[in-house]
Amino acid sequence: MPRENMTQWDDKLYQKVDRYNLVPNLDECLQCGKCTGNCPVAALHPSYNPRQIVHDILLGELDRVLQSEEIWRCLWCANCYRVCPVDIHYPLLMMQLRYLALENGYGLKYVTPINKYAYRSLECGLTFVPGKKGVEKIKGLREGIGVEPWPKVSKKAIHEYGEIFKQTGAYDWMKALDEVQAKGEEKPVTLTFLGGRLVDERYDTEEGN
Amino acid sequence: MSAMTQKRVIKPQERIPQIPEKIFLFRSCTGSMEYPGTEHCVEFVLKKLGIEVVKDPDQSCCSGYILTCSGYPAEPSLAVTARNLAMVEQKYGLDTYVFCNGCFGYNKELKHILDHHPEYKNMANDLIGQWGYHYEGTSTVYHVQELYSLLLDRIKENVVRPLTGLRVASHYGCHYLAQQYGILDEGDMPTFHEEIYEALGATPVFYKERRMCCAYAVGRGFTHPENVVQPHLARKFDSAKAEGVEIMTTTCPGCNVALDREQPKLKKRGFGPYDIPVVDLGQLIALALGAPIEEIGFNANSTPVEPVLKKLGFFKDDYGVWERRFVNE
Repeated sequence: MPRENMTQWDDKLYQKVDRYNLVPNLDECLQCGKCTGNCPVAALHPSYNPRQIVHDILLGELDRVLQSEEIWRCLWCANCYRVCPVDIHYPLLMMQLRYLALENGYGLKYVTPINKYAYRSLECGLTFVPGKKGVEKIKGLREGIGVEPWPKVSKKAIHEYGEIFKQTGAYDWMKALDEVQAKGEEKPVTLTFLGGRLVDERYDTEEGN
Repeated sequence: MSAMTQKRVIKPQERIPQIPEKIFLFRSCTGSMEYPGTEHCVEFVLKKLGIEVVKDPDQSCCSGYILTCSGYPAEPSLAVTARNLAMVEQKYGLDTYVFCNGCFGYNKELKHILDHHPEYKNMANDLIGQWGYHYEGTSTVYHVQELYSLLLDRIKENVVRPLTGLRVASHYGCHYLAQQYGILDEGDMPTFHEEIYEALGATPVFYKERRMCCAYAVGRGFTHPENVVQPHLARKFDSAKAEGVEIMTTTCPGCNVALDREQPKLKKRGFGPYDIPVVDLGQLIALALGAPIEEIGFNANSTPVEPVLKKLGFFKDDYGVWERRFVNE
């Protein structure tokens, strides 16, 4: 990791990350590290460190946080939030941090494959509708247990669901990510926080831990 | 207020003050497609226990999963939540019951944001007002597992196929447990699933990592299957196998996908083999309450459930009809 210079810092990073004002108490963080101690991902990869991420957001270490590959590893299990003595909603912080990374061109490869299902949900009002073959399998399973071949979703529900995405600008936001990726402008992410604690080698799957 | 200072143990009667006669059942995408038996069994169990179930085709997906993958901004999901809940409030005046921890977590979290940030509530109401909806926030979102717990006595009375000798382990799922405020039982170490297993005649088994998440939330199954999801699940299943778990139940079709569909892949990588079938809690209750086995939908599983059924005495005869040949003492 090269040394940061001043231009890579951003005093307003916290405000930029918490755009929906859902984690207003982040600056109360005690740096106690209970989040990291309870994190199943940190147990596998010591380089993923929730306490360090909170610290860096508060200090405004812009590039280090946004380029980080680790921020894409959070499982959203909320074990950190469960034990936090000051109730910091870390999962919602993580969701918003990823928005900022995406808008700066990082980590698109972790979102666009999943957004395939988001586009499909606008056509059928259900998330995770598979391809043609998968749909046939589902219909077979459903008929086998004696229910109608496809879950009942009304045209009204599908129309309104799709309109909500269009009218809030979410559809355009998703399309913009696709365009950045299509132009080949996606920036690479790197493991940022190397070294640290020992991990159980039976489950160690990565070099550099 | 800190979660650390809040009252920790909440009894079913405190969570749901009165046994409802009629509920609105919120359809889950994964629960009606990937494991259609889940939805079917939840309805079977509730009807058997004397609860009327209402569903509505105007309900859409809760839209939370891809939101938390950061797939799109939060505004559409806030509006979708307001729309679904307003539809239930206006049309039926009932509380919403979900059978997927995802639907539960997202609906509850987004409802919390709507109820505590007037600017988002107004934004959502402006948007859904064009179709005649108005979100007030008068109803509550519950999970059907909370209702099972409340109806424990009725479940006991209705068991016709006791699951004697079956070693069952729980997976509560983090989108349920992560909802720190006012969920059932003790959010850190709940035991209400284990009480249900006992009511069914089965033996509850506690394993070290029973509180551990399924690793499929926020799309990690797509993005980090090899370096996060699989070693993480191997840790969970290793501890379950050490305790002799024969079957695991979930209350989230999404967790079920992770725990069930990943097992063959873990085997290929040299973890395990575990061969622990994973089914929905509703499916297990439906089995004990006498649902026709072919209607429970165990055939959707990647890790076969048949060995467990055989152990319980269920066999398919020459005509493909299920029959119980013995009951364990």
